[in-house]
Amino acid sequence: MNDAFSQLSVLGSSLMLIFGLILLWRRGLTAYINALAAQSVVLAAVAAVVAHFGPARELYWVALLLFLIKAVAIPKLLRDMKRRFGTERELEPYVNTATSLVIAGLLVLLGYAIMRPLVAVSRLPTRVAMPLAMGLVLVSLFVVISRKKALTQVVGFLMLENGIALLAVLGTYGIPLIVELGVFLDALLGFIVMQIFVYQIHETFETIDVEHLNRLRH
Amino acid sequence: MNPFFLLLGPPIVSALLALAVTPYRAIVGWVNAGLSLLPVLAALILWSHLLAGEVVTAGPSEFFRADALSTLLVLCVSVVGALAAWLGPGLGADDGYDARQARRFRVFANLFAFTMLFAVTTNNVGFMWIAVEATTITSAVLIPLHVSKASVEASWKYILIGSVGIALAFAGTVLAYFDFVNVAGRHEAALNWTVLMAAAPSLHPDVVGLAFVFLLIGYGTKAGLAPMHTWLPDAHSEAPAPLSAMMSGVLLAVALYALIRWEAVVQAAVGSAFTDRLLLALGLLSLAIAAFSLLAQRNYKRLLAYSSVEHTGLMCVGLGLGPLGAFATMLHLVNHTLVKSALFFLSGRVLRRYHSTEIARVTGLLRTLPWTGGLFAAGALAIAGLPPFGLFISEFALVRAGVAAGRPWTVALVLGLLAVAFIGVVGHVNRMLYGAPSPGVGAGEGSLWPLVPLGLCLAIVVVLGLTIPAPLERLLVQAAEIAGK
Repeated sequence: MNDAFSQLSVLGSSLMLIFGLILLWRRGLTAYINALAAQSVVLAAVAAVVAHFGPARELYWVALLLFLIKAVAIPKLLRDMKRRFGTERELEPYVNTATSLVIAGLLVLLGYAIMRPLVAVSRLPTRVAMPLAMGLVLVSLFVVISRKKALTQVVGFLMLENGIALLAVLGTYGIPLIVELGVFLDALLGFIVMQIFVYQIHETFETIDVEHLNRLRH
Repeated sequence: MNPFFLLLGPPIVSALLALAVTPYRAIVGWVNAGLSLLPVLAALILWSHLLAGEVVTAGPSEFFRADALSTLLVLCVSVVGALAAWLGPGLGADDGYDARQARRFRVFANLFAFTMLFAVTTNNVGFMWIAVEATTITSAVLIPLHVSKASVEASWKYILIGSVGIALAFAGTVLAYFDFVNVAGRHEAALNWTVLMAAAPSLHPDVVGLAFVFLLIGYGTKAGLAPMHTWLPDAHSEAPAPLSAMMSGVLLAVALYALIRWEAVVQAAVGSAFTDRLLLALGLLSLAIAAFSLLAQRNYKRLLAYSSVEHTGLMCVGLGLGPLGAFATMLHLVNHTLVKSALFFLSGRVLRRYHSTEIARVTGLLRTLPWTGGLFAAGALAIAGLPPFGLFISEFALVRAGVAAGRPWTVALVLGLLAVAFIGVVGHVNRMLYGAPSPGVGAGEGSLWPLVPLGLCLAIVVVLGLTIPAPLERLLVQAAEIAGK
């Protein structure tokens, strides 16, 4: 049984990482939003799997909330924004696609390297998937740094959060539920404020390309 | 009455009141100003309990806990919060803000104060994280109070870099919790700082060390440590003056507080050599970048913002210099909070008169605004580290701590960089004070009463430069002990 548990967690984490990589080789915002939604569904599924096999039943609630907030509500808001801004595409990121993918590969390897001590001390069946979660965290961080469109950066940030949530689910079977609720609330509020700012950037600069945000230097 | 109620209740009441009354009326601001004194009272009550040797706690499994370190931060946050409530927009007089802006300020500045007070009093590191994250949200909303390209850009950078940084701090929290669960099993109050602290010696050094790297980058981003400081000069200079005062004066200290809490846990698990090295490296880097940026500044609000990076770096260095260094850091934190908030409020008055944040456009400040200019000059000398101001004493204590810790090169570097920062600050401010006022800028102060509390802040810093009162000294000593020394 533990074998199935461990394999399912690796499968889920790998899928999440692949959905994360879509941000690096696709250009359209629709693809990004779909990738985020799919990744969040997988995250909710992983949480449900851990709730099923592991000792912490309250993770079912976390799975449900993840699904509602990350897989339904936020993608819907993002699609509304996309409709408003039309065809703003990530045409020329700071780092090109090929280089980005190579860097992403190295970052996943780095994830394995820095998670070695954790995998060594853990006895959980989910431990083998933890480096993938760290890989996703690092890749998302890279997306936020290397992309120019404000909305792409937001999607990258949401994926970063997904990676950390995955890490928490796999490594500790979730942080205490009450803290988790606060984290969800923060994530949602933070997203809404970011959304307001994207509108404001669009209104004052008439683009959401953050390359134009260069008035403040030194 | 429970002091935590007195501490956390008034900001919430004020925010709700401002939210409920539309359109905004000045009475809301005055009620807010009155209520803002209650948290200061609560801080004094917590302090008096502490002097009686008693740590106040409240809630299930000691959810709220005010030891010396928390009390010190509560004191700083509540005082600056009260200053912002009394000197902020919306108190009747023509202050350059319309009713909608005043209402938004009253709602979010109070929520901002609440989240900071919550962050420093909760015993649960998970909730501490939630509160610190919430500070980003509540303060980012206020930066573009006057919508302009620059302020929108600054707030975007702030919320993006701040959120990513704080997400990394959460990853660090998860990693540390991971190790705790691994060693001690799932536990009701496992995220309580006191519980973590007790379990720390049995944690795995490798894992906790990795967690600390994430926590240092994460909370370091909020604290404005280089190289994650890039959002800070923008956000602090574009924000309206009362918000700049809160952000520079205490938000950085709150982030540093989170870092100190974790540093103590990690130190108990890994030993102090590891944390000291990281803190010294980041602290010195911040100090260096800030010192040279100060020389190159053309904008006086950015000058003040970079000076905050400098002083945060200095405090970070102090934390890496053993028990004496920790004491110097605590003293420096109090001094910096008072001086920097006063300076940002004063910069708001200068901006209102000159309509420019460029240093070159501000001339003859002492002639146009004699009192504001005089206090601004005094504050600038204080942050530059001249006697008789308290920052001279705390910087001197820091240098002594470095010598005692056997790190002469660190000390030499710190002194050199402080000299560079001194030239930067004093040189630029000097040019603002003298000369003929630009044409079209009239002389004479407006209302003088806002200068009274600001003058008082600077007077306290002068007192702290001459002597440290015994109750404060006990608070600082106890807070320094908590920093894990």
